[in-house]
Amino acid sequence: MPAATPFVELRESELLEAPLRIEGEYRRPDAATLVREVRSPYAETTTLADGRATIEREGRSPRSFPMSRAPELAGLQASFGALLAGDHEALEGAYAIGAYGGEDGWTMTLAPRDRALARRVESISLFGAGDELRCIETLTVEGEVQRTLLGAAAEAADGAGAADGFLALCRGGAGG
Amino acid sequence: MSPRTRLAFVLLWLGLLVVAALFVSRHLHLSGDLRAFMPAPETPEQRLLIDELGDGPGSRLLLMAISGADRETLAAQSRALRAALADDERIELVANGSEAEAGLEAIPERLRPYRYLLSPGLDQRPLGEDVLREAIQDRLQDLGSPAGGLVEPLLPSDPTLEILTLAQAWEPASAPQRIDGVWFDRAGDQALLLVRTRDAGFDPAAQAGVVGAIEAAFAEAAGDSGTGLLMTGPGAFSVEIGGRTAREAARIGVIGTLGLVLLYWLAYRSGRLLLAGVLPLASAALAGIAAVTALYGGMHGITLAFGFTLIGVAQDYPVHLFSHLRAGEPPPATARALWRTLLTGVVSTCIAYLTFFFSGVDGLRQLAVFTVVGLLVAALATRFLLPPLLDPRPGDAADGRRVRALAAAIDAIPRPGRRAGTALMVLLAGAAVAVAMLAPGPFWENDLSRLTPVPEAALAEDGRLRGELGAPDVRYLLAVQGADVEAALQASERLLPSLDALVEAGAISGYEIAARYLPSAATQRARQARLPAPEALRAALDAAVADSPFRAGVFAPFLADVQAARQASPLRPADLAGTPLDAVVPGLLVEDGQGRVTALATLGGLEDPAAVAAVADGAGARLLDLKETSESLVQAWRGQVLAALALAALLLVATVWIALRAPHRVARVVVPMAFTVVLTLAILRGFGVELTLFHLVSLVLGAGLGLDYALFFERTGSDRREQLRTLHAIVVCGSMTALVFGLLAVSSIPVLRAIGLTATIGVVGNFVLALLVARRRADPAQGAGA
Repeated sequence: MPAATPFVELRESELLEAPLRIEGEYRRPDAATLVREVRSPYAETTTLADGRATIEREGRSPRSFPMSRAPELAGLQASFGALLAGDHEALEGAYAIGAYGGEDGWTMTLAPRDRALARRVESISLFGAGDELRCIETLTVEGEVQRTLLGAAAEAADGAGAADGFLALCRGGAGG
Repeated sequence: MSPRTRLAFVLLWLGLLVVAALFVSRHLHLSGDLRAFMPAPETPEQRLLIDELGDGPGSRLLLMAISGADRETLAAQSRALRAALADDERIELVANGSEAEAGLEAIPERLRPYRYLLSPGLDQRPLGEDVLREAIQDRLQDLGSPAGGLVEPLLPSDPTLEILTLAQAWEPASAPQRIDGVWFDRAGDQALLLVRTRDAGFDPAAQAGVVGAIEAAFAEAAGDSGTGLLMTGPGAFSVEIGGRTAREAARIGVIGTLGLVLLYWLAYRSGRLLLAGVLPLASAALAGIAAVTALYGGMHGITLAFGFTLIGVAQDYPVHLFSHLRAGEPPPATARALWRTLLTGVVSTCIAYLTFFFSGVDGLRQLAVFTVVGLLVAALATRFLLPPLLDPRPGDAADGRRVRALAAAIDAIPRPGRRAGTALMVLLAGAAVAVAMLAPGPFWENDLSRLTPVPEAALAEDGRLRGELGAPDVRYLLAVQGADVEAALQASERLLPSLDALVEAGAISGYEIAARYLPSAATQRARQARLPAPEALRAALDAAVADSPFRAGVFAPFLADVQAARQASPLRPADLAGTPLDAVVPGLLVEDGQGRVTALATLGGLEDPAAVAAVADGAGARLLDLKETSESLVQAWRGQVLAALALAALLLVATVWIALRAPHRVARVVVPMAFTVVLTLAILRGFGVELTLFHLVSLVLGAGLGLDYALFFERTGSDRREQLRTLHAIVVCGSMTALVFGLLAVSSIPVLRAIGLTATIGVVGNFVLALLVARRRADPAQGAGA
């Protein structure tokens, strides 16, 4: 897996006029660090390392806090980070894993073991093909779904603004 | 009376005592609060310690660690334990880190608008368009982050996330890591919990109740999972040490009792005398307890323990009677003949103890009442109740073969003439005083905790847990005073920058002070005054939201909250009931009788007390050293006890003088006792023992015993057979006392050893000296060639 991969996310919220489309890049500069860099519609870099999250925003001094305060970040590190690192043991430790599918399209579902994360996140599904991870789908306990398109899927999402287009890209129907 | 009737009466007496004991044990309220044994406080620090705190908040903490299973199991047990303890009345606070899960939900709805008065977040910049525009852009980015779900529900009412600013300000800087939502140590092997009790740390009875409840709750939570609970903290230690002391004392009591029975049997070969001999002492104890309970409504645990030690003298009274019985004289006549001597001893001891009554210390007053009543009852029982119940044709101790051999051996000891003897005594006494005064090392031990030392390993565990949990220091506290709560809070607020600077400089790792959670009303009003009026805020908000992706009208709850905050009356400590802060703030604001309030700051990870004290002085606060304060109390206490003892000694000599009315007779009685006191001090000090009040009280006991020995020896004159009886009596008395206290003297627990050692030296010294000084030599006409 590459050390850097582009992503596209569609954030839906009742508070917003329209879903927020976020683009950027996930990077893994070393085995223990995961960086999420947002480029559009604003610039923000989140670094997860050593149990702490550091957020850098334009024109602000960086903020840093323990990841335990935001279980979602810890979950991201433990799922996506571990997957990128190929650290099966870390993944197994944090989640109950289910996997199905084949070479040309596979799905891996992760059910969080950590209580704090489990209070918010029902499951995380990873969709991919071959050795490429295409999409992360997070299902909250309230039933909301957040999707992050990665790699080729993210590149293919250039035109897709609507949620249903995202769903198709995520599940690998289009552009796969 | 027939033997059968006499036995019936003895059993009746015994039966009545058993009934009375049952009644007393049902109704006896034993208090464990050591403050009853402290003198009236004089300095402000002492007053704070005694009257108000009862103890520092830090010493009411119990630190706990669960270990011995995987993390999930440990976390689950930590949760179960917390749930079980949360409803316990005796527990003010139980925390395991899971409180953060409830997070903001734990703050009642009605108090949420107060965030604008409690949080310092908007102190620098007013809540205008700029701040809101920035906040809204930030919130958009928050929404777009993986943790967006966390902040989303907060946004409509709180776009500046003031509630999070507040939560962060409240979160202790050095909180342990959370695994599975609960606190764990750094290695992740132990789930950590914290309990704060309502009752003082130095109330062993109350602490025992809490420790018991925690252990029971843990046993329930742990089931058969094989996990273990480690509990440290002052309360846990006092309970453990108290238990160990009680167990050791009980073991010594059993061995001692067996030894006493054996001694009685050897001395009198009579089961009935053994039975009868118990009665005066038992009656004395019950009468003493009844008197104290009637006067004070309860009794202190220490009074009971000390009191039993002191009225142990009463066990000698029946022995004197039994040993002086003789053929041809009915026991009541023997009792009458002994009465004057016995009474002199009892009355002078009682007068000595009465001085405790004027010590100004409640626990000592109880002790005086208990001892005086007990000794009088024992003496009266020995004089009037016991004799009619004894065999009217008794044996004669003077016929004993062993006592005759002993007397002969004693008489064979060469003794110096009167003049040389006096010179020798003066010389020895001078040497003893010199040793007592000049022995290296401090004379007094003020740190009472050394008498009941906590094992090193347990202390190390406590230090480790304290570090992991960031728990406050037990010894030091910052105090700042005000005329009322508001003034105290304002004074604390002025202290906050200094405290933050101390944290920055590493002198402390953190602190807790009420003003950190609850600002003064003045500060709250100032914040209120800075909040914009509804129209202005609406305009600023509309402008800030206009070009953002947020829907219009989304922030209506925010406008309502700010308006509520503008109109609210400032939050006071009393309003905190039912919030998480209720467990923290009231304990840090202490009100004295006159309405003055002291705000306390507990300090975590205190590295540099001197630096903290300097900063505190500059900021109008005081660094309290609770250890030093309690030691100064002990010193004051000792001063009063010593004054009482000096007076007691004078009164005692006066009483003996009135009874004997001849200088040389008085000298014979008083000299052995006085000499033994000096000798005991010299021996203890010579072996490097630092003296405590336990030594002092035991010294008094030894003196009381010695007085009796000397009085009886002195009374006997030179009648050979009477001398033998008295010798018999005092050998029995002395060996019984030496046996009991000798067992205490070899105890592993310093407090028991202090009592045992002092009393044993006193008994042996008094016995030997009374024998040499007070006892006259046998009449050569009757003597056996000495």
